[in-house]
Amino acid sequence: MSSPIGAGGPILEARSLVKSYDEGRVEALRGVDVCIGAGEYVAISGPSGSGKSTLLHLLGGLDTATEGEVLFKGAELGTTVDLDTYRSRQVGFIFQAFYLLPTLRAVENVQVAMLAMNQGSNHRAERARALLEEMGLSHRMRHYPNELSGGERQRVAIARALANDPTILLADEPTGNLDSANSAHILEILQSIRERRGMTLIVVTHENEIASSARRHICMRDGRIES
Amino acid sequence: MLPDLMASQLSFAGFAWKNLWRRRLRTLLTLVGITMGIGAFVALVGFSRAFEHEWLHMYTSSGIDIAVVQTNLLNSSLDESFGAKIRALPDVAQVAPMIFNLMDLTPEVNALVYGWRADSYELDSLTLISGHRYQEGRAEVLLGDLLASNLNKKPGDTVSIQGTNFTVTGIYHSGTALEDGAVIMPLDQMQIVAGMEGKVTAFHVKLRPAPAGVPQDEYTTQAAAQIEAVVPGARAVPAAERAANNQIVNLAHAIAWGTSAIALLIGILGIANTMAMSVFERTREIGILRALGWKSRHVILLILTEATALGLAGGLIGIGAGWAALRLLSALPQTASIVSSSVSPFHLLESLGIAIASGIAAGAYPAWRGARLSPVEALRYE
Repeated sequence: MSSPIGAGGPILEARSLVKSYDEGRVEALRGVDVCIGAGEYVAISGPSGSGKSTLLHLLGGLDTATEGEVLFKGAELGTTVDLDTYRSRQVGFIFQAFYLLPTLRAVENVQVAMLAMNQGSNHRAERARALLEEMGLSHRMRHYPNELSGGERQRVAIARALANDPTILLADEPTGNLDSANSAHILEILQSIRERRGMTLIVVTHENEIASSARRHICMRDGRIES
Repeated sequence: MLPDLMASQLSFAGFAWKNLWRRRLRTLLTLVGITMGIGAFVALVGFSRAFEHEWLHMYTSSGIDIAVVQTNLLNSSLDESFGAKIRALPDVAQVAPMIFNLMDLTPEVNALVYGWRADSYELDSLTLISGHRYQEGRAEVLLGDLLASNLNKKPGDTVSIQGTNFTVTGIYHSGTALEDGAVIMPLDQMQIVAGMEGKVTAFHVKLRPAPAGVPQDEYTTQAAAQIEAVVPGARAVPAAERAANNQIVNLAHAIAWGTSAIALLIGILGIANTMAMSVFERTREIGILRALGWKSRHVILLILTEATALGLAGGLIGIGAGWAALRLLSALPQTASIVSSSVSPFHLLESLGIAIASGIAAGAYPAWRGARLSPVEALRYE
């Protein structure tokens, strides 16, 4: 079992996670135990098919395990904690392909995450603008995704992930589609956000530079934690 | 700062609108479908209801209490001699035998043609604008002012009906399109024209005032039963019921509802297809929304909002189109005599309600399907 390091106590705990597909013929996770402390910066790496993204999806409440359980602050996801509520209030996702909505401007893309919450439209717009300013995109707020560079798109996606003020930030290959300069910039932003906000940051990556920047590094292979 | 902030705002409805605007052509074609459905409903059902209303108005303005017609026949035909038997009943004040039919006056214009006796009490409810009444046994007619205007006829002119020339003796106004767009001629002339010598379509009966203490409905029902007892094979129907429930009005209602239902169904299927396609194309986007914390009910609400917006917009345009069609039909010489352009506010609200309900019904399955998507499966969707 990978032990918790964070000083703030465990925020996420995975117990004996198994995830299989195709009626059990394909096993993406084969009994994973992991405990992540509040405010930790954890990198998960491993070769393609090792199960790192699957683990991230289960920790983020995007999917449910075939066996085992995920606990958020000691409460089981999917039973004690509603997955939709967990995703909307506790988790912010960042994806390799950005996944911005093409018909919405940058400032609107950030607000989409807040539409599911009971907040006024002024509050939503103000918060979206503040987050984009924080990302250095005050001059790009009214641009559509196809008018932005890759790095700018990922910064909009980070602003969107922060929209509901989550406690955990989950990033799946956040620099996978970026050049080295933009990758370094995004990494810098993620670290800065974690430090300033005290958030838990879990990054799935196959890049050694990112993995080595994390305080804790989990290596996966064949659906198991290797180290 | 404030206008800038407002310009940056994204509302739920604004998001739905952007999704519809994204596929403009498909949205437009879907709108055409539901517009046609609602337009057909407004025009056809509006027409059939106005038609019924005109009938009722015609009966009440003439003071008719009971219509005596042949049982269960579209083209009623009764012996004219029955009139004397009905007149002899103690509660009956007056009896007006009549024939009516829809006939071509010119290749472009057709109109309702009534055959009434020259002394019929029904003539008393008409306001003679010019000329004078006709006489029995002569090829003479009265024209409603709407029809006279369409045919450009005045007293002294002639009109040809079924190959016979009739002299126009007067122009009248009644207040109902069914009479103002009609021709009235002596009953004996109408019997010849219609090939119904010795026969009539109906007897319109006016009763004596109901005795004190006897409710009018009860009195009319009793009188109707007495009439049916003396006229074998006839049905004596209170005027209000006859207006609402005669074969012609029923036929108009059936055609209107049937045609509208088919048009509406096509419109609903159009919205359903559009929303199903939209959900299919936006599978990954729905996954993104779910990853961002949208609950299933938010996805359902978004899709239903889009579908309802289509129904509402199509409904509003359809109401305008249907109303315009009614006004056009009521102005055309071919249809002016039977089409009224009046539409009740209830009918408009009902149409709007059907349009919105159509949107919701059409969006229900795509919304359910969208809400059932697993977030992670949706995100993987190519």
